[in-house]
Amino acid sequence: MRLWRLVILALGGLRRTPLRVGLTVLGVTVGSGALVSMVAFALGIQRMAEAPFEMLGLLNNIEVSPGEGDDDGARTLDDAAIDELAALPGVAAAYPNIRAAGVKLLNGEKSASATAVGVATHVPMLGEVEDLLLAGHFFDSGERPEALLSVVLLRDLGFESPQQAVGAVLKLEANGLSPTDAETFAYERRDFAITVIGVYGMPRMVPGFGHGGVLVPVGLMKEIPGIRASSAMARLRSGKSAVGAGYEKAIVRVEHFADLLPLEERIRAMGFETRTLLERLDNMRTFFVFMDAALAAVGTVALVVAALGVVNTLLMSVLERYQEIGIYKAVGASDGDLVVLFLAEAGIVGLLGGLGGLLLGWAVAWGLGTAVNIYARSHGVTRHFDIFSFPLWLLVATVVFSVVVSVVAGVYPARRAARLDPIRALRRD
Amino acid sequence: MDVGGDGEVFLETRGLVREFRVGPSLVRALDGLDLAVARGEFLAVLGVSGSGKSTLLHLLGGLDTPTAGDVVVQGRDLASLSPRERTLYRRTAVGFVFQSYYLVPSLTAEENLAVALLFQGTYGPAGRRRAAEALRRVGVERRRAHRPSQLSGGEQQRVAIARAIVHQPPLLLADEPTGNLDRATAEEVMALLHGIHRDLGTTVVMVTHDREMAERVANRIVHLRDGRLVDGEGATP
Repeated sequence: MRLWRLVILALGGLRRTPLRVGLTVLGVTVGSGALVSMVAFALGIQRMAEAPFEMLGLLNNIEVSPGEGDDDGARTLDDAAIDELAALPGVAAAYPNIRAAGVKLLNGEKSASATAVGVATHVPMLGEVEDLLLAGHFFDSGERPEALLSVVLLRDLGFESPQQAVGAVLKLEANGLSPTDAETFAYERRDFAITVIGVYGMPRMVPGFGHGGVLVPVGLMKEIPGIRASSAMARLRSGKSAVGAGYEKAIVRVEHFADLLPLEERIRAMGFETRTLLERLDNMRTFFVFMDAALAAVGTVALVVAALGVVNTLLMSVLERYQEIGIYKAVGASDGDLVVLFLAEAGIVGLLGGLGGLLLGWAVAWGLGTAVNIYARSHGVTRHFDIFSFPLWLLVATVVFSVVVSVVAGVYPARRAARLDPIRALRRD
Repeated sequence: MDVGGDGEVFLETRGLVREFRVGPSLVRALDGLDLAVARGEFLAVLGVSGSGKSTLLHLLGGLDTPTAGDVVVQGRDLASLSPRERTLYRRTAVGFVFQSYYLVPSLTAEENLAVALLFQGTYGPAGRRRAAEALRRVGVERRRAHRPSQLSGGEQQRVAIARAIVHQPPLLLADEPTGNLDRATAEEVMALLHGIHRDLGTTVVMVTHDREMAERVANRIVHLRDGRLVDGEGATP
């Protein structure tokens, strides 16, 4: 028997009770719409969370720290070592990654505590951060005492708006222990005058740029007291002189992502410790797998409820079409034919419901997405958020899943129809 | 046994018993029926309602299975057939005509024939030609795109007859085919059945309670009472 003929026959069967079939299709539509919008939401959130990693090119970075242990293979991360790293083939840039927590910023009487972060102004890495600038501009490649302020510091420093802060000259107070001799440290305090050239807002999930941060050129960071204290302590512990301590961390930026792992191997072989954001991203992805699964489960429950509607509709259809089924058997339909006929009806309901679900899911995504962006704009956020993601596989999978669930729901009614005794069906006059 | 027609036995029943459970009691619709039908014969089975006529047709058509006894068609015992073979038997060997027509209400006349061909696995250009031919034979080709609700009773029964013969079965089983029709229409339908029997050589078993009608078209008439054949005019010779 040709399947498409049967589909036409099944359509004829569904045509008999348009309202009931329509409501059943609507049920499947709501179920698959819930499923597709929830999964699309999970995927959209994941994409938003991962986007900064890609946008900032952080995935191309290898975080390098000094080698551990006291053998000669363990390397100190000093300026010479960084020059050596920068010279490796495939490396775009290498620079010390210096952070100093607890520096004090003063704007006249007003003050705020901040984390100072060194930025390699000669590396084009943060070019796209300009998207995040709320006012001012990014560093040009010079090493002038300039700074970018995190937007969260503005209020404490007495600025009303990002624009107002740009051009202000702040005092940066830093103190810490600096090694002065093989085993001696001195407490040191230094003040710097820095000019604010811009204000930024940062996605919170990006590590390394604490959102209460002040970004200054790396050259200035090298002057801040205390930045070598902990690596000097580490050298002392392994029996070396505290003088000559290097940096705690450096960033090696590779030109091509494909070179990341081979270069990481090579840097380890040179006696350094390394880390990449790949690991962190993996952890995050694991989290999202669970989130996807949880949301998909909720959506699936909705679809299963809709499937009960399919069972109900088809069972009623079987009972009402007792005579028709008897006729089909009398003209030569086998049990299998009737199973296929009713499964085809179920499949059509699933197909229509699945396609409707895509429309519904899209409408929900459009509605919520628009609402979120209007809300965000009303709070001064200029970025556009795509909180839903509809990859092609999701669309296909939703429709296929909807059809499969409906066909499974049709199995019991279809078997009832097939097992029906034609005599009893035909005797009902 | 002389069975009329060309003398060759087409189908026969031996000690056919069919019991139904109705509530607490067991009703015996057929009670040891022996009947032989010759190839090409037009047999009328007369009986009042409840005499087991319809049950006999259902058993002959392979829609039902006997409690005891055999139905042998062209030398093959239906009881020995697998479900698949029984379906095949219904598809190829039998055409049914019912008192209430039993057309599928949501389908047009043409589609009702197409469905039969579809289940019989012969839908296609040749099948469509046969459907058109069958509708022409019963005289409703102009009504082929109408649904049953748009057709008169006589027209519906004509469509049902067309459906029963569209696959050119050797056996036509008619269950009170004129029971729902007025006299004039009934006579037209009866003439149609007679014509099919005469022109196509189809073996026809028709059950009815209308003796006059039966006498006009049948080669032979048997009487069924309480599930048995009884002596009477035109009964088993």
